[in-house]
Amino acid sequence: MSEPDGYNLRLYVAGQTPKSIAAIANLKKICEQHLPGRYKIEIIDLMKDPALAGRHQIVAIPTLIRQLPEPLKRIIGDLSNTEKVLVGLDIQPN
Amino acid sequence: MSPSNPKLPLFEDADETVAAIHQGDVDAVVVMRSLEGPRVILLHGAEEPYRVLVESMSDGALTMGPDGVILYVNDRLCEQTGYPSTHLVGSDLTSLFEGQPPALVPEVTAEAKLLRNDSNAMPVAVWSRPISIGGTTATLVRLVDLSIHRRAEQIATAERFARSVLEQSTEAVVVLSPDGHITHTSGPAARLAQRSPIGRVFSEAFPLEARNTDEPETLALARFSTDSLNTMLATKPFHGVEVKLRGDDKSTFLLSAGPLVDENKTNVGSIVTLTDISERKRAEEQQTTLVAELNHRVKNILAIVQSVAAQTLRSSGSLENFAGAFAGRLKALAIAHDILTETRWIGIGLSELLAAVLAPYRAPGGTRISISGPPILLPARAVVPLSMVLNEMTTNAAKYGALSTPSGTVEITWQMTGDGEKSVDLVWVERGGPRVKAAAPTGFGTKLIDHVIRHDLDGNTRIEFDPAGVRWTIAFPVSGLAGDRGAAAAALAIA
Repeated sequence: MSEPDGYNLRLYVAGQTPKSIAAIANLKKICEQHLPGRYKIEIIDLMKDPALAGRHQIVAIPTLIRQLPEPLKRIIGDLSNTEKVLVGLDIQPN
Repeated sequence: MSPSNPKLPLFEDADETVAAIHQGDVDAVVVMRSLEGPRVILLHGAEEPYRVLVESMSDGALTMGPDGVILYVNDRLCEQTGYPSTHLVGSDLTSLFEGQPPALVPEVTAEAKLLRNDSNAMPVAVWSRPISIGGTTATLVRLVDLSIHRRAEQIATAERFARSVLEQSTEAVVVLSPDGHITHTSGPAARLAQRSPIGRVFSEAFPLEARNTDEPETLALARFSTDSLNTMLATKPFHGVEVKLRGDDKSTFLLSAGPLVDENKTNVGSIVTLTDISERKRAEEQQTTLVAELNHRVKNILAIVQSVAAQTLRSSGSLENFAGAFAGRLKALAIAHDILTETRWIGIGLSELLAAVLAPYRAPGGTRISISGPPILLPARAVVPLSMVLNEMTTNAAKYGALSTPSGTVEITWQMTGDGEKSVDLVWVERGGPRVKAAAPTGFGTKLIDHVIRHDLDGNTRIEFDPAGVRWTIAFPVSGLAGDRGAAAAALAIA
């Protein structure tokens, strides 16, 4: 799914809190629409393993991390504001 | 998050985090604790009960977005599929199933095959319901593992089958646990036990006594103590040992025991059957008696035949005479044995015996031979000797007496006499034959009649040579004709 110029995204969630659920749904929708075939999403449930929060110093949930392309970027919230997400991830809208 | 922000990234993030929390964009935070490590604190909302319920559900559950993407899976679904939640979240619901995915109709259960990491699909019941989480429309999907239910159904079916077999069994069948306790019984087994056998050890419910200690296995059984008997029945195959139940002398049982194994070939107890062979034993004993009786009778008949042949030969002037006399006497024996076989050695009426012996001389509707007297049942023992006697009298009449002429007649009458011991008085009167000379020489036939009546029938006989015809008077008891069955042969030998 990820290509050399693709987006490697990691979404930190907390079980199925409303914001976590919404964030997953919104991210999937945005990626399908604006990065078709050029993204990889990894969803980390910190309820199951809180220690994974350390790697990206996650404080608020949900938090989306853009691991690739560099530099690393971070968006907090349920990703319901599509424009903010596109800007935050440096994605040119289709 | 603006790239023009001059702050360092960490502070920039902190600002954004605080702003997000303030704006209500997040509903959980991670708190770092030096000793315990990071911990997730949920900012509780109205959906908390739902979240807890789904997370702790014993069935697999997932939350699905409106586009069919899986947003959340609980631990149980991860166990069911064998995949971690990171693998499942974000994928399409349809990818979870083998073949056609179930049609999700709210609150309607459909069956499907859930794909598993080990490539063995699991039968599941899929149930769904639309929900709203924080304004997001989603669907709760619950997946119930049917393999457990199916297994339970299979076990229940097998149990019903086994119970049905036991209930229908006409033999005493007992199922033992490995420690010798009774877990199931068939109806006959339950009736055989003095009181309810379930839960008791075998030897207590069915106290055994070995029947035939000549057999090594039975001897071994008899030597076993009660405890070791229970253990042995529960562990060792055993076939066809005759036993009796203590307190029941009339019945004999065949004891068999075999292991009861489960699907993994593990011994989980034993099945013991007690087959009631009392009837078979009685039949065997009766057969043994019959064979001995038959053997005795055959020997007896051969002795009679041998004696008749010898005496007939001695009294016959020519081979021709011998052949005729011997054949007649053998025929009398044959008639007697036919009668005994037909009547199963119970005996026959005197008039029936006379009719059988005299049949060759009686034309249908003829009046030359008349037979009359009260009904008398002759005991089996009297049939052969009396048949021989009547044959001799008939042969004499045919050769020298009333039956040697066309107009001669024979009148046979009898009556019962005596109060306690009943006797038969039979009179044979010939008329119309050749004139009888007084004191005619007595041949073998006459001797035979006299000896048989005296020795076999404990009676007496008298012959009167009336010129108009011979008159025989025979008297013998019918109620005391017990004794040695070989008497006929003995009497013939004396003759």
